Amino acid sequence: MSLVYFKNVSKSYHGNLILDNISFEIENGEFVSLVGRSGVGKTTILKLLIREEKPTKGRIFFEDKDINKLKPREVVILRRKIGMIFQDFKLLENKNSFENIAFAMEICGCSDKEIRQDVPELLKLVGLEDKAGNFPYQLSAGEKQRLVIARVLAQRPELILADEPTGNLDPINAWEIIKLLTKINELGTAIILATHDKEIVNSLNKRVISLEHGKIVRDEQEGRYLI
Amino acid sequence: MLNSLKSILRTFWQGAVRNKGLFFACVLMMTFSLVIFSSIFIFRNSTQNLIRVLEEKMDISLYFKKEVPEEDILKIRDELLGYPDIAAVEYVSQEEALKIFEERNKNNPVIQKVLTEIGENPLSASLNIKAKESNKYETIIQEIENSAFKDKLTNVSFTENQKVIARLNHFSQAIELVSALVIILLVILSVIITFNTIRMAIYSLRQEIEIMKLVGASPWFIRGPFLIQGAFQGLVASGLALLILIPLIWWLGPKLENFAPEIGINLYFWSNFGYIILIQTLFGLALGLISSFLAVNKYLKV
Repeated sequence: MSLVYFKNVSKSYHGNLILDNISFEIENGEFVSLVGRSGVGKTTILKLLIREEKPTKGRIFFEDKDINKLKPREVVILRRKIGMIFQDFKLLENKNSFENIAFAMEICGCSDKEIRQDVPELLKLVGLEDKAGNFPYQLSAGEKQRLVIARVLAQRPELILADEPTGNLDPINAWEIIKLLTKINELGTAIILATHDKEIVNSLNKRVISLEHGKIVRDEQEGRYLI
Repeated sequence: MLNSLKSILRTFWQGAVRNKGLFFACVLMMTFSLVIFSSIFIFRNSTQNLIRVLEEKMDISLYFKKEVPEEDILKIRDELLGYPDIAAVEYVSQEEALKIFEERNKNNPVIQKVLTEIGENPLSASLNIKAKESNKYETIIQEIENSAFKDKLTNVSFTENQKVIARLNHFSQAIELVSALVIILLVILSVIITFNTIRMAIYSLRQEIEIMKLVGASPWFIRGPFLIQGAFQGLVASGLALLILIPLIWWLGPKLENFAPEIGINLYFWSNFGYIILIQTLFGLALGLISSFLAVNKYLKV
């Protein structure tokens, strides 16, 4: 059973074809880089996976369930199994680091006890244990992204979608984030990294799916960014 | 569960606090609507009380010529009881009529003297008729005037409450019509303002909402704070409306009762206090919930 299966998926917006009949599978625990120029459809694939968008044609399966046939209650469960990391962080500015993670846990119905136990551990995992009381504006870009990763991990997801997570970071911080994602992947969580950072993709030495004009032009294990 | 509820309430409170100006404007508008709504409700019910009292006092009295024997009058009474519009007919004999008249005028020496000088009972026997509905008296009078026993009557007296009732009914209907229009207008305004308050709350919490969606919050977890806000606004408005209504009734009640003592606005208000609170609160809640539901459905895609 694949974790993710895109079967002949097409997506168009107002007549513009963004994804053109793409098919691919991702297994549990895989690390896949989704590469291609801006606007090639990388983010669209991620949005389709969390059912923020629906495909124009084709079917998408997550753990053998057709995402498009999920009921609203099941979409909620799907989104709890998939964590998302963005280039622009999407942190709550009026909440400190601890509260940002606690907020996500509260939403998922975690108890106060679980929150008190888990949040410090998660902050430690991403190296922000001494920044629990800091608000996002008091954190560097790299720290913000690490906080986002901690928030995602609070959900204990089976798959993490990272949409240009290093886009706003300097090379050192970018590498730290990639190292963190690799470490999480080694612990068993599948990761889809959408990026156009050639250097990062080439040094990862993991599976690479290359997109061009809405089509998959290459899908290689231990691939490279060749576009 | 408790944590989710706490989180929903916290989000609602943040939304309300971030837009407190609009929140209070909305509560005031709703309060105004509820005060008008409850005033109309109280006035309408008090007027109905007044109409009922006046209706109870209405009757037709048929006075018979002295030579008409009692058994004929009783036959006429039975005939009248067969009329579909008549509810009751009471026979008052000459002796009873005299007794009532003497009792009523026992402190009037002139009348007492006149009665003594006449030496005989000057009063007629009569039938007092009560109709089933106040608007049927005219029909009954017409039927009596066309009846076979018309010649046995000396006089047909009809208490003129009907005109007062008709006027009250017209007045009450006119007030109801104008009030209905005012209420509709106020409800529309309240819904628009509440709708916009919720829209602003949704806008100001868009970051939180986006994150809620991302981490898999259930649709009702996301919608909950805004529906609670609508309901809360309705409840606060209902409470404020009550604080305005109590002194208003206290001040206005006696003035209206001077004009029409039977209207009993004060009495109606206090004896139906719980019911009025319930109706007003339900109306406020419905107003808030419907507006927020509309706004949530339009602006919150989950």
